[in-house]
Amino acid sequence: MAERIEILISGFGGQGVVRIGQILGQAAVYEGLFTTMLISHGTETRGGYVRSQLVISDEFIDSPVVERPDYFCAFSAIAYGMFKVLCTPQSLILHNPDLVTPDSALSARHWAIRAESLAERELGNAVFANVIFLGALSSKLKSISSENLVRALQDRLPPRYHEQNLRALELGRSL
Amino acid sequence: MKRTFDTGNAAITEGAILAGCRLFSGYPITPATEIAENMSRRLPQVGGFYLQAEDENAALHICNGGSIGGLKAMTATSGPGFILFADPFGWAVSSEIPVVIVNSQRVGPVSGITGAPGQGEFYFSRYLTHGGNYETIVLAPNSVQEAFCLTVRAFYLAERFRTPVTVLADQMVTDGWETLIIPETDEEFRGMGLESVPRRIHPGPEFYPASDAIDIPPVVLGHNTGAACSDWTPTDRGHDTEDVTWQHKHAWRLIHKIRNHRELIDESETWFLEDDPEIILVAYGTPSRVVQSAVRAARKEGLKVGGIRPISLWPFQDALFSRKASYLTVELNWDGQLVREVQRAAAPGSSVHFWGRCGELPSVRELLAAVRRLKEGKALERDGWRTEAW
Repeated sequence: MAERIEILISGFGGQGVVRIGQILGQAAVYEGLFTTMLISHGTETRGGYVRSQLVISDEFIDSPVVERPDYFCAFSAIAYGMFKVLCTPQSLILHNPDLVTPDSALSARHWAIRAESLAERELGNAVFANVIFLGALSSKLKSISSENLVRALQDRLPPRYHEQNLRALELGRSL
Repeated sequence: MKRTFDTGNAAITEGAILAGCRLFSGYPITPATEIAENMSRRLPQVGGFYLQAEDENAALHICNGGSIGGLKAMTATSGPGFILFADPFGWAVSSEIPVVIVNSQRVGPVSGITGAPGQGEFYFSRYLTHGGNYETIVLAPNSVQEAFCLTVRAFYLAERFRTPVTVLADQMVTDGWETLIIPETDEEFRGMGLESVPRRIHPGPEFYPASDAIDIPPVVLGHNTGAACSDWTPTDRGHDTEDVTWQHKHAWRLIHKIRNHRELIDESETWFLEDDPEIILVAYGTPSRVVQSAVRAARKEGLKVGGIRPISLWPFQDALFSRKASYLTVELNWDGQLVREVQRAAAPGSSVHFWGRCGELPSVRELLAAVRRLKEGKALERDGWRTEAW
């Protein structure tokens, strides 16, 4: 039986929505899995709306559309508001409670991660928040090893940022 | 084989390089900008040329010029740039210049929405220039891997048919990321079913014969015949003429060199067509991926549903629709384009329906709901202005 994992990541441009999808997708490809990632975005380079729809499967993926996300990384209140309707009781919504207030009417599970403040405190810059989210999300994905995740991160980011991002990844994985 | 995770834009770039493209001219536009970016990096590495043009009209003119100069050439754009190709596209058609055009369809008309997919250029890709009197080849990928393979194929067909070939993609194909396999040796290239024709040179001195013959090398300026780049009607020597007899011979060649070699062009994928389908979903490009899922899900429910995905869009493959059935086209536009062609081609007694939207893919759930309504004989009317009217 094929396992299909659907991941939705959404927020503003500049938050790393596409970047963490790239790293996760690359890691899945290293695992020999099929991966698709659809990107939707506005015109702006930064500040505009961005969404990544990531599907990982051990067989060819026909529809690349995330209809029932297993995981939803909501990086902004707007993104949460737009896509919470897709979530099911099985969905896990990763969010920063400083930015997103969970809807108590929603049956999906919520996981609050104060990634921005954690990144500022531990790494001196909130910009690493997305990789903390990536670490947390990846700790739930049994099909992707931490070795391949590290390899993908090193492939997708410039070497001078490896050390801090690897620490951010580890922070996320240990939550 | 190199197995990567990359975008359709990267796939198109690498496909073009492997197919022998050595000139790219373009003007950046979302969601095809990365093709220009990638080409500007890759072409100098292989001894090719990248030239940013002042607009898309100039870009395709430059590609035509480069091709007449002996280089395989490509340009890439999205709808707002595609419309500017009308003039140089006609020149390439009439002067029989091999060139590859990529259009990543976004939401229109005009600037519309940049980072979201549309399918508004189905007919426009067929009638990209004025005057009629020609046939054209358009290929439509539905995945990153296929964007790679069809780019290689576009160059192959362009060389053999001496004509522009359009790769009609959409934003989800070009911006989307997916597993991409790239061959690293000639053996792997052929093993993936890919073919390539090197640029050859017309032997001269006569121009092209008044026949449907393909595989005649294109004219290259400075070699054997200078008659190549005039956009007037050519005689058999390539001289300008206003004689209707020559015009007829020229038009006949432009039309029938393509129409009489359909076996080299026609390509499609079908699902459950041999399994007695009552309802057949039809889509090209990214929506066809959702259609494939929906057809499978419908079959699991015991519904007699099939699917058709034209991979080569033009010339249109009427023969795919020879079965009497209820057809439902699924498109990324609100006005219905593919549906009109299916209605024309469908076997007598068929009914033809349309499910459209723009900027977002349909969901499997929505398509299954439409299939169930069709099965119950109900119209596909949805809420308010979202109707089936087309």
